[in-house]
Amino acid sequence: MSDTPAPTPSPAPAPAPKPAAAPQFSVDTLIKEATNGQIWKSMFRNWPWQDTARHRARHIVDNVWLHLHPTKVRPRALETTFTWGLGGLSFLLYLLLTITGVLLMFYYRPTVELAYQDMKDLQFAVSFGIFLRNNHRWCAHAMVTIVILHMVRVFLTGSYKKPREFNWGVGVILLTLTLFLSFTGYLLPWDQLAIWAVTVGTNMAAATPFLGNEGPFANLLGMKINNDVRFVLLGGTTVGANTLLRFYVMHCVLVPLVTGALIMLHFWRVRKDTFSAAPRQPDEEKVDVWPHLVVREYIAAAICVAFVWFVSVAFDAPLEELANPNVTPNPSKAPWYFLGLQELLVYFDPWIAGVLIPGLIIKGLCAIPYLDTNPKGVGYYTWKERPFANAIFMFGIVMWFVLIYIGTYCRGPNYFWYWPWESWLIHKPAPPPTWSFPLWLGVLSIAGYAGLGMALPKLIKGEIDWKKANWGFGVFFLVLAAAMKIGGDIEAWRIIVVGALLWMTFLFGFLYPQRYLKDIDFMRYQIAQSLNLMMMAVLLKMGLRLGLDVKYVLELPQFNLNI
Amino acid sequence: MTKRQLFYGLNFLILGLSVWAVVRDNTREWKDYQTEFKRLEVSRLKDALSNAATDAEKESLGAALQAAKRQGKAIRQVLANDLGKADRCVTCHVGLDPYANPGLSTPYTEHPYKASEVPEHKSHNLTKFACTSCHMGQGLATTVEDAHGRVAHWEEPMLTGPSIQAACVRCHGDFKTLKGAETAKRGKELIDRLGCVGCHSFNGVGGEISVDLGDIADKPTSRIDWSHTGECHGEHCGALEKRDWNVKNWIELHFTRDPIVLVPGDPEAKQCAPKTKCEPVSPSGMPPFYKELSKEDAVAITAYLMGQTANKYPSDYFVYAAPAKEPAFANPTAHGQYVFQKYGCAGCHGEGGKEGRRNYNAKANDQTKMEEGLEPTLTKVVGNYTREELRKKIHDGVPASAIAKFKEDGPMPPLYMPKWNEKIKGQELEDLITYLFSIAEKQEVW
Repeated sequence: MSDTPAPTPSPAPAPAPKPAAAPQFSVDTLIKEATNGQIWKSMFRNWPWQDTARHRARHIVDNVWLHLHPTKVRPRALETTFTWGLGGLSFLLYLLLTITGVLLMFYYRPTVELAYQDMKDLQFAVSFGIFLRNNHRWCAHAMVTIVILHMVRVFLTGSYKKPREFNWGVGVILLTLTLFLSFTGYLLPWDQLAIWAVTVGTNMAAATPFLGNEGPFANLLGMKINNDVRFVLLGGTTVGANTLLRFYVMHCVLVPLVTGALIMLHFWRVRKDTFSAAPRQPDEEKVDVWPHLVVREYIAAAICVAFVWFVSVAFDAPLEELANPNVTPNPSKAPWYFLGLQELLVYFDPWIAGVLIPGLIIKGLCAIPYLDTNPKGVGYYTWKERPFANAIFMFGIVMWFVLIYIGTYCRGPNYFWYWPWESWLIHKPAPPPTWSFPLWLGVLSIAGYAGLGMALPKLIKGEIDWKKANWGFGVFFLVLAAAMKIGGDIEAWRIIVVGALLWMTFLFGFLYPQRYLKDIDFMRYQIAQSLNLMMMAVLLKMGLRLGLDVKYVLELPQFNLNI
Repeated sequence: MTKRQLFYGLNFLILGLSVWAVVRDNTREWKDYQTEFKRLEVSRLKDALSNAATDAEKESLGAALQAAKRQGKAIRQVLANDLGKADRCVTCHVGLDPYANPGLSTPYTEHPYKASEVPEHKSHNLTKFACTSCHMGQGLATTVEDAHGRVAHWEEPMLTGPSIQAACVRCHGDFKTLKGAETAKRGKELIDRLGCVGCHSFNGVGGEISVDLGDIADKPTSRIDWSHTGECHGEHCGALEKRDWNVKNWIELHFTRDPIVLVPGDPEAKQCAPKTKCEPVSPSGMPPFYKELSKEDAVAITAYLMGQTANKYPSDYFVYAAPAKEPAFANPTAHGQYVFQKYGCAGCHGEGGKEGRRNYNAKANDQTKMEEGLEPTLTKVVGNYTREELRKKIHDGVPASAIAKFKEDGPMPPLYMPKWNEKIKGQELEDLITYLFSIAEKQEVW
């Protein structure tokens, strides 16, 4: 194409002796000449642009940044409310965080003597320093939020179902990596907020069974405070200089690399598994990705960028006093996305709250596509066709955020309950003393809950009338309430707390599985219902503690098994 | 809205936000101060130039004017490498740069530029001390609020007025003889007179009833309960604003308000969990010194105490004083009086043993209220003892559990007579007893 030499702009001979006569110049000619040259054409194919189907397709395939897209998609994919652009926004924030993170690395030194000072330098001396730091911080929080929302969206549109089971699992791992990325970054400012949040977070690692020195069976592998999994994470027995260096390396190199690799895998599978599951409309025709999808992606990205830009200029990232390992703030709280787990520490022993439950959540999430055999509801939102899956999943998500809310706003000094409008400076009396079930009652309760919970939904054939069942529960609750009021002189709010949580357990742990779960095959039923029952058990235990001050339902200290 | 409009709208929005970010970054507070300083400097030099008499003068002033005009805006800082300090105070307090202006005096009277020649600035080289070693505040900060340090999460706000003499106490063992450290000296004298060491110790020397004050200036603010530090409305006192949560305010409040308001404890065991019993906690046992101290006294004591910090400076920053010699006394009574003061007996028994201090819930007599229990007034009781009995009493002390309570289920009285057997012995003990008998009121002789 470049066989015609580009004409060199030469000053035209000036026939008229006008002094101000400049050479003929126009932007259009300049662009035309520049884009016609060899340099331009070597960089950009398919030039000049023509609005033809062939060009629109080539625009995608010949462009390294866009070629991950197909050239054509079904019109459904363009609907904003289908994806809300959440996956793309997660990736956008990952990229933004990489850019701001690299820029911050120019100013930040990961040593205990200098890290905090560098925060102050960023705020007070570095040009755009505070903007960079704010941006990095708020983007990180936004990324955590959006990745979670992305998971919810993918669940609700059934997009994890066959053949996309594996990619859902990759997504779950990416979610935990996102949390870990944010968590490792949390330490780097080296202020009180940072070291105590990380202390709370990493103390949970010490409770790991077998591998943590405070966990069950720690002595089987000879775990002590200076050789367990927490020691490996911290590079010491407390959060110190080695921890800062370790977290810095993990935050800047290790975790982003692993995350990046998995993102590639995730995208690759998205492409290979294709967007094709939703039912086809009659006479549906695919549309060109350029410009239809690309422009929507651009708008979503622009909204996101504008939002984080605004927040970064308007609100400063928190920075408290210089880290002091000798001064523990009261209360010490983990980063917000772990406050749900920290809240569970109120109700359970650390190895259950900090290791078992999060482990089961991750495994349970990964198991979802293999347990859900319902072929309906792929590629669109539907409650009717997937009542059980949606109800249980959304229940778990809401419960998670309620726990985070409680941990963030309702917990004050000594981790006592303070309502958001109550001042932490007016001290609350200690909560009432707790008590545990006697062993026989504990064994009976656990065995009864597990046995009946597993067996009943499967054994009871036929349809239960939910209206009648709920009325029945109401009557049962009134009897129970009367018994508690008369027998134990228990305050009304406590009875209501226990009653409400019992009803939720009745609804989601029994009525739902009885109607929707009993017909799947035996293995899947066992796994799904036991996971479901364990989730409801967490709720029940919360009710027993908040309402009736029960410490343990089952107490077997010799096996470190206190539930 | 069409997508095209959205596309352009959002792009311009991002552009606008970016411009906002740039503008904000370029209009930092400190730049205004440097602009103003440059204006002042240029007009001053112009005036001087127009009044200049000789050519040589004109030439040097002209050069100075050119230099002032060329002066760009920049963050400036004073480095004290030994202390790891980089103080950016001179970014706004332009002209106080120790290199450009070793005398640290300026002809200006406007606030951030004002500086008169202070002998302390000459004797404390800024390249060794920087600014915040003495003045405190946040040296790395470049905004007015943050730099002066009266902000949340900064525990060492700038020391103003006479309280800056805390800095003298930190290094000068001989601060009592220093010119300019009179307030701190007065604070130390008050502490000796009031008998603080009866209950408090300084680096292990002194009483055991309350906290060691040897590093009180380093006390982390999160270890302090700020609930009752603010303005009081009747009985109830709120909390100070968070930006005022610093140790200096905490110490000063102990001398401007009743300590049992400041640290109310839990005398009625209200903090107990429902349906449980727990021990009541007595309020602060510190006597209400605010009744007899002026505001200046409180500032003086605070200035001295803010000098009590764990050694943070290299050893060559210290000026050591020879240890104080034990004074010699002509008679045993005078020596006894000295011993009485040395061990802080006045802290509880009052100056000269004349008025026992408040001891919450101690039963003094049937008329007193719970909060007005008193320590024994020595002038009244000492006469009832024999010399041998008094020796034993000082030797063994009286544990708190042995003090009769005003209210039986109330808290243990916070003050008690410690065992002095390790501290007061030999000649000191004998002369103390002699002194005590000398102040005893005459007893009736049966």
